[in-house]
Amino acid sequence: MAYEFRFPDVGEGIHEGRVVEWLVAEGGTVGRDQPLLKVETDKAIVDLPSPHAGTVLRLHAAAGETIHVGDVLVTLGLAGEVAQAAPAPASTSAAESPAPAPGPGAPAPAVAPSTATPSRPPATPHTRALARRLGLDLARITGTGRDGRITNEDVASFAKAKAPEPEASAAPLAAAPVPAPSTTPPRPGDAGLEERVPLTHLRQVIAAAMRDSVQTAAHVTHVDEADVTDLLALRRRLNEKLAPTGSRLTLAPFFVKALVAALKLHPKLNASFDAAAHELVLKKYWNIGLAVDTPEGLIVPVIRDADRLSLEQLSARIDDLAGRARERRLSLDELRGGTCTLTNIGPVGGLFATPILHQPELAIVGTHAIKERPGFVGDEVRRRSYLYVSVSFDHRFIDGAEAARFLADLVTRLNDPDRLIASL
Amino acid sequence: MVVGEFAESCDVVVVGAGPGGYVAAIRLAQLGKDVILVEQEARLGGVCLNEGCIPSKALIHATDFVLEAREAGSMGIELGAISVDVPRLVAWKDGIVKRLTAGIDQLMAKHRVRVIQGRGAFASPKRLVVSTAHGPTYVDFQQAIVATGSSPRPLPGFPLDGRRVIGSREALALDHVPVHVVVIGGGSIGLELACVQAKLGARVVVLEAAPDVVGQHEPEVRGALKQRLKQLGITLHVGARAEGLVEGDRPSVRATASDGSELSLPADVVLVVTGRVPNSADLGLDRVGVALDERGFIRVNDRLETSTPGIYAIGDVVGPPLLAHKAYREAKVAAQVIAGEPAAFDNVVVPAVIYTDPEVAWAGLTEAEARARDHEVLVGSFPFRVSGRALTLNAPEGFVKAVADATTRRLLGVTIVGRDAGELISEAALALEMGAFLDDLSATIHPHPSLSEALLESIEAALGEAVHVARG
Repeated sequence: MAYEFRFPDVGEGIHEGRVVEWLVAEGGTVGRDQPLLKVETDKAIVDLPSPHAGTVLRLHAAAGETIHVGDVLVTLGLAGEVAQAAPAPASTSAAESPAPAPGPGAPAPAVAPSTATPSRPPATPHTRALARRLGLDLARITGTGRDGRITNEDVASFAKAKAPEPEASAAPLAAAPVPAPSTTPPRPGDAGLEERVPLTHLRQVIAAAMRDSVQTAAHVTHVDEADVTDLLALRRRLNEKLAPTGSRLTLAPFFVKALVAALKLHPKLNASFDAAAHELVLKKYWNIGLAVDTPEGLIVPVIRDADRLSLEQLSARIDDLAGRARERRLSLDELRGGTCTLTNIGPVGGLFATPILHQPELAIVGTHAIKERPGFVGDEVRRRSYLYVSVSFDHRFIDGAEAARFLADLVTRLNDPDRLIASL
Repeated sequence: MVVGEFAESCDVVVVGAGPGGYVAAIRLAQLGKDVILVEQEARLGGVCLNEGCIPSKALIHATDFVLEAREAGSMGIELGAISVDVPRLVAWKDGIVKRLTAGIDQLMAKHRVRVIQGRGAFASPKRLVVSTAHGPTYVDFQQAIVATGSSPRPLPGFPLDGRRVIGSREALALDHVPVHVVVIGGGSIGLELACVQAKLGARVVVLEAAPDVVGQHEPEVRGALKQRLKQLGITLHVGARAEGLVEGDRPSVRATASDGSELSLPADVVLVVTGRVPNSADLGLDRVGVALDERGFIRVNDRLETSTPGIYAIGDVVGPPLLAHKAYREAKVAAQVIAGEPAAFDNVVVPAVIYTDPEVAWAGLTEAEARARDHEVLVGSFPFRVSGRALTLNAPEGFVKAVADATTRRLLGVTIVGRDAGELISEAALALEMGAFLDDLSATIHPHPSLSEALLESIEAALGEAVHVARG
């Protein structure tokens, strides 16, 4: 019995993704839970494992292709069943021609109509028939309608796009390269003075998220300064003690702890807005998002229940999340459910910045570069380490005074590690 | 009728003249094919027309009418004592069947489809041998469609004798109302016939081996259905096993109840309706290489092609759901494929109806099925007891339940229990086939007052916008 593996609904509002690479080939076998392909979604590159063991009869999407939830990705001949003479010849024109002559009937998917599912991308019966008349496989057509709905126009433009192909398709036998997702042809006059870089999927998602956030929230940034000399000294002492164990604390765990302590005093900064209900949702859990700079763009993994982790646990967790964020190996669960975000721009430099809120959160805290300056301790001038700390907040729901009080409570804990430890 | 010893030849031979076979024959003829239709029974139309859907619906309507007449007192209408002349009722039903089968004969003649009465079996991938009353006839063909349907599954210990122990066919031709009826099998056919007999005045007991009736449906369906069965005086034993028949002055069925206790159920008539099996044996399918699945259904792809080139199969014989309207659609697809047109059975839903009282109809996924497929779901339901139209029809039983994907708001399934559910479900089937979103339905004006408003209300409830039901 042939089994169609579809792009599963992974939740978190993810409707589409892009095939990064196939890990199996047509004609090959696959074991249960063995990864079939890598897919880049809004948030991560994930391996999609096979739910069944079997033979790969057909791959329905090419690397680089955009796929939608419900699209058929692979047809598997389930284990114990002889693979039918590969139903998909390599040449696309042959595979998609209507071929009225009934081939050696591969009785592939038994009809089993009761299990036909409304989860595949919607297309009306009329549109489905149109595609069939044109010899096109709906699974390869990207729908432009709502929820990926495939319209007559989508079918027509797909047909037009592939119209000139057939003549060329007779030629190469080697791994017939799938037409790459359209790179715009160079224009006259450009000659090396401009380079056109296609946006990665991640970049497009970031772009949309940033624009939406700025359009939605009333951003205000409030900045204060913390004297972290004593905090740095504490960290140094702790690291000396931890040295034999091989572990080492960065500043980030301290920042997270101080942030959680301040959030507990100011619940509105650990909240989101439910537009449908017109209510603020104050979160009684502290999941701290950590903005991570990766070569491909900003990713924000979430440290769940940061209030319940020790400094050492936090440190390990942050290293793990940041490392895997750079490798794009985070699961979706590790990217959602944040209640407030911390962005540590300091190591790169600068005075301070004004970050954009990570929707639907209402606050984002920035820790900036640590700079040494002379400062007064009592009446004496000493060498001190200073840090700008910012909170950007949504002024629709949080007033400036509230944010200032929150930041003061945060700075107090950074200035005086004894206060921080007292609140752990 | 054509008989003879020499071979007839045609473009396409269709084996079986039920809903799948006769529709395929007509559509093929319309597409310019020369068609021979082979049917072993004297009448065309198959089980559906002769001993299934149509006769049972005739009796169901008539007995509903009896019940409504008895209950008309609540509307101030007193009809006095109501008596049912069962032989006349059966004759009325037979008249309907006759009229419809005669209609099919005419359609065959009009489309120049040659009909051979006899039992067909494949002699080779291009030749069918038909055993007729006058000896064998051969049909040479280019392509064949197998549409041989299904038969009642026999139950060990209860061989049908046509008198005491009967199947669905005989149940629709009973010329009297038995005092005690035991129905073995609580599937759709069993429950429909149980309702008929109960409304005619029989004392009906239903034995179902599974832990519950209509187990695969929304749990609310079971509740509504069982409540009404109880009102009709039908006793339901689930998880019960029929052991055997005890003959004598007072015949009875011996059974084991779910708790292990022995049941002795008086039975003037035992109705055995324990499912159906495909008619795929003795057709010579193995001779021509047509593959069956492990349950004996013919394996086909979405173009209704079997494993043997040129041989197609449609209807009950290719597997569930065993429904005439699924066969209709498959027949048209197979005919188009044979005619070289691009076609495939790509339907999103096959709606289904149980003509119990109240009727049960569904299309698409149940809530549980949707969750099992990892949909976050929105669910809305609307009870007919608050529908103005349902109350004016004196039919307050049942509800409409709609299930949608919470993220995309796309409709995934609808279940309807109540008066005319079988009619109302078509709107849901259309919506699902079109890939409708909830607001496609909620923005569609439904006439008032009508039962169809209940679907609208259930959709609005799923959207959290219900007008006529207070939110719980």
